[in-house]
Amino acid sequence: MTSQEFKSHILIKRPRYANSRIPVIEVLANKGSRRSEYSQFGPIYELYMYAFLLGLKKERRLPLPPRDLTSDFGLEIGRWKRESNLTDFLLMIIFTRNEEIGFDWNDLEDMDEAEITAVVSKIITFMEEYANGGLEYLHELLDKGQLTNSHYMFIDMYK
Amino acid sequence: MASIINSISFKNFFNYYGDYYDTRYEFEEGVNIVVADNGAGKSKFFNAFLWLFYDQVLDSDDKIKKGIKDIAVKIISDKAKSETAIGDNVETGIQIEYSTGRFKYQITKSFTATRLSKKITNFDSWQITVNDVEVNRTDHVLPKYTPVYDADEKANIIKQLILPTLRQYSFFQGEEVDSIIDFGKKSSIEEAVRTLTDISKYEELVFLTKEFKDKAEKDLNKQTKANSDHNERLDKAIQVKQDLENALSNQEIKLAEYEKLYDDAEQEKNELEQNFSNAEKRNDLDNKIKEKNKRTNEVAEEYTNFLETINNRFFDGNFSWISLGFDNVVEDFQSKIQQFREFHFEKKTLKNINDPNKHFHFLPIDSPDTVSLKNMIDHEHCYICNRPALIGSEEHNHIIKLKNRPIEAKNDIDFVKNNFNNFFGDLQINAQPFYNKISSIEDSILKTREKEIALNERLTKLKKELKSLKDQRKDILIAGNDSEDSMTIINRYKGAIRRIADSSFQIEKLQDSIKKLKSSILNTEREIQALRPSNIPEGYLLNYEISTDLALATENAKNRVFDNMVNLLEKYANEHFQSLIKYNDLAGGILKFEKSPSGSILFNYIDSTGNIVHGSSEGFQRMKKFSVVMAVISANTTKYNYPLLADAPLSAFGSAFTEGFFEAVGEVFPQSIILVNDLYENDDEMKLNELGKKIIRKDFIKRVYINQIDKNKEQIDRTTDKIKLK
Repeated sequence: MTSQEFKSHILIKRPRYANSRIPVIEVLANKGSRRSEYSQFGPIYELYMYAFLLGLKKERRLPLPPRDLTSDFGLEIGRWKRESNLTDFLLMIIFTRNEEIGFDWNDLEDMDEAEITAVVSKIITFMEEYANGGLEYLHELLDKGQLTNSHYMFIDMYK
Repeated sequence: MASIINSISFKNFFNYYGDYYDTRYEFEEGVNIVVADNGAGKSKFFNAFLWLFYDQVLDSDDKIKKGIKDIAVKIISDKAKSETAIGDNVETGIQIEYSTGRFKYQITKSFTATRLSKKITNFDSWQITVNDVEVNRTDHVLPKYTPVYDADEKANIIKQLILPTLRQYSFFQGEEVDSIIDFGKKSSIEEAVRTLTDISKYEELVFLTKEFKDKAEKDLNKQTKANSDHNERLDKAIQVKQDLENALSNQEIKLAEYEKLYDDAEQEKNELEQNFSNAEKRNDLDNKIKEKNKRTNEVAEEYTNFLETINNRFFDGNFSWISLGFDNVVEDFQSKIQQFREFHFEKKTLKNINDPNKHFHFLPIDSPDTVSLKNMIDHEHCYICNRPALIGSEEHNHIIKLKNRPIEAKNDIDFVKNNFNNFFGDLQINAQPFYNKISSIEDSILKTREKEIALNERLTKLKKELKSLKDQRKDILIAGNDSEDSMTIINRYKGAIRRIADSSFQIEKLQDSIKKLKSSILNTEREIQALRPSNIPEGYLLNYEISTDLALATENAKNRVFDNMVNLLEKYANEHFQSLIKYNDLAGGILKFEKSPSGSILFNYIDSTGNIVHGSSEGFQRMKKFSVVMAVISANTTKYNYPLLADAPLSAFGSAFTEGFFEAVGEVFPQSIILVNDLYENDDEMKLNELGKKIIRKDFIKRVYINQIDKNKEQIDRTTDKIKLK
């Protein structure tokens, strides 16, 4: 497997979120035209990326429910912010956490395809679970009415 | 001789309860004032004259003038109604005494109402019979009135108090004064001049003398033909004169057409004048508002857009907010990739051990990576051996060579299943925009906030400016007419101005041509005289000469009178205007009367520098109108012989005009009876305010009455009581 193929293996994945997060997604991601009283991201994947990194920062890792109770937003990672190399940065972050995910960089080079698929799957789960943690954090604030109605809300929470 | 109202009395007329002798108001030549608070009988008083002149009264409920019989039940004093038993009757009426010359008249108009049922305010409860008008006359020397029986004579006596054609200038209520003269229509001033002066008589004379002249000429020509032996030259001269006269008449028709065009344009101009000056300002403001609105919207959009895209800064490589707080990632990754590569290349080395040349590298293959090499090139320093590598030096060239080295990977023997070296290397290179900026993100956030504040301030300032412009625009709206759009008004106004200029030019041309034609006609006439045979009876010639002179003299006299009239009007209007505004601190302008090219009267209000003044308060406008009315009256060669009867003429004047008003009317009208509430003060012992007290001390104020009504009483018991103050 070449570097390119490996990367593609990851980038064709569509991370999922728990259906219970739909309300918070609806409020915080604009998804075209929907407006809310809070500052919003554009497409869902922006919120998802933010939630993933927020989860990492807040150290909130939360497993997703069974697949039937989850959804994806129809966009492969490779198509998130395609015009920038943001996914490369995300992957950089992910690959520094390889111990937590459960693989070794050099081992990857000796794995067969099935093994690599398993690692990729773990990587996606890692993303999903931290994103879920981040979304949960946002969800709690939303439910408690503690989200601040400011255009700087996301960056303020991110510090 | 002037008509002077000596008294007016009422019988059970509205709140004027009681018999004629109870409610008698006496007046004299000069200014008479009846002061009454609202609801204390001013309009009822005025209604008495409406009844006298028109057999109508104004229904205060719907402000419509109604025939006496239709509104009779409302007219009868409620107190009188309630005191009338069913089956009994009550009389309601007005009685006016006035004198003119050696006669004094007493006019009584009344009706009798018989009560039929209980409900006194019901129209069905009363049977109304209008009584015959009673008119009595007395010679001042005779002590007793004698009745006038002839209906026409009675009507004439009533008419003479104030002639119907003059009533609009002499008998009005409140804002009716506004409709006396419409400054927008020049015909309005002309009508006033025609009605109030004898200029129309001159016009009649001009018409008559012209007819005489034409007749005399025809007669003369007939005689000439009869007496001459077909004098060809004379015939030709008469023919030429005829042609010239036809041409003249054509030109005069054309002139009249252009004069009409001129007048219409002038009228439109006057009507638009107010709107135009506002329209210009409005248009100017509209443009400013449009521009400001555009700017405000742009900034508002920029601001909204700015706020809405703040979150984009997380993902935009120029801001990279998303990487905030991930400083350690770069280091971790660096150390992991190093570790990875060491092991990676170790494996490779082991695989390639059969090729010693490849084994003995100082550095692992493809190391340093291109990014590090580029750094070294840029910084002119080799980080491998920590030595400077200045541009142009051998070391520097070596680094460049390394960076451009061919990719040899394909020659490598597979030493791992999956070679991910590039995967990690690419991540590190590609993600640079995000991790390179981490240290400056805090600063970027701060700058974002600053930019937002600056945008917000800009927007607030623009909004304030826009509001101020809109407020100004609103102020203009009050005075102007917004139904038409400003551009239309401006274009119409400019159109009217152009038509005035065009028709003025044509009028001058035609007048010139008419003058020439007239002069040609005169010369032809002389030629005709010379060609006329000498045997014409002298009477015809003489008749013709005299009537020609007469026609010319009358025409000149009319023009002179008209010119004088315009001058007089201007003089008097300004005098009256000055006295009307003399207690006002407003700088009064000048009322300017001019003869238009079409021969009509133009009126303008100009300031001391000669600029036309537009728009001013309603009171001021009314003052101007009043000045013109009084000027027309004053300019009349014969004295104005009728009293002024005005109900609340001051309502829009403002107190500063009031004093001037009383003085001015005193000078113009032989007698005035003014009904006002402007001088009333309920809390004062005399029921007069300070201005009232000041005014009643003036000599020209002859009689002052105060009307009193006890407002605590039920309507059914209310009566108007009068206090005679002077």
